[in-house]
Amino acid sequence: MVCLRCALCPMLRINSMATPNIYLPFKTSIRGVKEVAKDVKLFSIVVPDDFTYQAGQFVMVSVLGAGEVPISITSTPGVSRDLELCVRAVGHVSSALNSLTTSDGIWVRGPYGRPFPINGRQDTLFICGGIGIVPLRPLINQMMNTRAKTSKKATVTVMYGSRNPSEVLFLDEVAAWQDQGANVVLTVDTCQIESWKGCTGLVTEHFGKAKVNFKNSTAYICGPHVMIQGAMRDLSLMGMPDDHIITTLEAHMKCGVGKCGHCFCGGKLICEEGPVFSLEEIKKYNIKPGRDSLV
Amino acid sequence: MIRTYILNKNHLSFWLRQLKSAHELIAPWRDASGDIVLTELSRMHETALDGPALMPSPKEFLLPQMEQLFCYSEEGIEEAVNKQGRVLFGIRPCDISAIKILDTFYLGKNKDVYYETRRNKTILVSIACNQPDPTCFCLGLGTGPFLKSGFDLQFTDLGDRFFVEAESENGMSLVKDFPHIFIEPKTVDGEDLYEARLASQSRFEKRVNLEQVRKSILAGKVNDAFWESVAVRCFECGGCVYNCPVCTCFNVIDRPASVDTGKRIRLWDTCMFKGFTRTAGGVVPAEAKIHRTKRWFHHKLLHWPEQFGVFGCVGCGRCAVSCPGSIDMATVALKIKGSDQAEEKNA
Repeated sequence: MVCLRCALCPMLRINSMATPNIYLPFKTSIRGVKEVAKDVKLFSIVVPDDFTYQAGQFVMVSVLGAGEVPISITSTPGVSRDLELCVRAVGHVSSALNSLTTSDGIWVRGPYGRPFPINGRQDTLFICGGIGIVPLRPLINQMMNTRAKTSKKATVTVMYGSRNPSEVLFLDEVAAWQDQGANVVLTVDTCQIESWKGCTGLVTEHFGKAKVNFKNSTAYICGPHVMIQGAMRDLSLMGMPDDHIITTLEAHMKCGVGKCGHCFCGGKLICEEGPVFSLEEIKKYNIKPGRDSLV
Repeated sequence: MIRTYILNKNHLSFWLRQLKSAHELIAPWRDASGDIVLTELSRMHETALDGPALMPSPKEFLLPQMEQLFCYSEEGIEEAVNKQGRVLFGIRPCDISAIKILDTFYLGKNKDVYYETRRNKTILVSIACNQPDPTCFCLGLGTGPFLKSGFDLQFTDLGDRFFVEAESENGMSLVKDFPHIFIEPKTVDGEDLYEARLASQSRFEKRVNLEQVRKSILAGKVNDAFWESVAVRCFECGGCVYNCPVCTCFNVIDRPASVDTGKRIRLWDTCMFKGFTRTAGGVVPAEAKIHRTKRWFHHKLLHWPEQFGVFGCVGCGRCAVSCPGSIDMATVALKIKGSDQAEEKNA
């Protein structure tokens, strides 16, 4: 039985008077945990009905005692009852998070950030690298759903690169996308398994397999810094307009609401004005989320 | 509307004592080592109003160095909002200007309830600067040495008496009960005030025009070689940020007391530290010092005006006092201006 007392608790709202306290998370619980790869877990989190979000947004998740971290939402808005988060144990808090199990309490606030823009019914190209598929997954699902409902079908291409076959996340969903008519290109860096049917090599080496008109489609990119950098450069060279090359950036964040200053980059706060940016914006503001510039 | 009064200096201690009975009174005080610090005043006559810019700045009374956001236990979380009424007496006009900037930041979009509660309970009484420090450059920014508005009460030292201006209801509330000591000014007081202000303006050693600097940067006249020359002098001590009355960045950490209980606190952080932007994966976007120093100056000179229409600097000169590498705002701004002018001469 879930206690919604903390989520809806009148005490907290009254105590904070007229101004809601932007730093206070609400308590909820984990409905299920699934290990989707080594050190990567998919959490289904109970959320109240009025908790709405859009693809591309993130939440601040707390494990009290360990800290708070920003995590991309990976559940499809309006479809999934629970809030799904996919977390790899990398740092202090994400490791604490990954040690939680079903029915454990968890503290959440959000959603925050600018969601992915959707450019009409254009052809779309998704370029995912490793765990970078997580923020793109709700958008792909959304696109597949709308695609199924419309007669004039735009093409959806999903290019997904991983380190090795055991690290490919959401393999069943990827297969489902393919069944629904998406053009899926799976690739791994190295592979010793003979049964692997996908390609090998970097995801950017396989643009030839994407059957899209680059000049007239939109790309959504998420993955490691070098992959984003390479993919953006290549797509731009192939004639895709800069404002149609869209990525989502990661940054160290402490508040998620534009106050702590940790994600400040090129005059923009990634938490508030991002994490979704187009190549056009990245160039204009000189946003440099990693060691090297993206462009 | 601004109402004006004269307060004889002999009556100051009496008035402060009255304030203290109803508010927490924070005022500059000379400690045993001779430093002047802002602290809760216990002996009224000990307040020191003749010192240089207070270090650290009054920011800490609105955004404490360390503050509890909430404490947690098995039962849930309980927020910790400070509700005590406070008078900040003897701060500088530049500090008031800085607090106005903090207001736009913390009370604009996504209001910070901790700041808001403190701010609403704080009455600001400033003392106009008759003797600006050698490091001060508020004159060019319009953030000092005296203000035309924005304060609750503004005092100006006229030798044996203070010229007092009350702008807000809060300010009025501190003087309205004492009509016998806050008396109506005479013509000569107005003349003395004018003289004091004129004299103060003439005492500034530094004249810095940040608008000119902003334009130089926007015009692309400041290259990375210049920022590199600034960065090599940076000791990464964070003194400029901690002492800056406008810098707002903070860190948030959990302090567990036991398995189930503890508190979440926030503390001042500085973008001059390498780890400031480090992500869990170990990537540090602003690893090179040049990125950090450049970002600090760009934030204050370009991004604040872009977002809020004012510079993220009030010319208080605290960074000049704290910086061991002499790469404070005024010095860097003057260097940019100097190299710009040299370029024009050569051309």
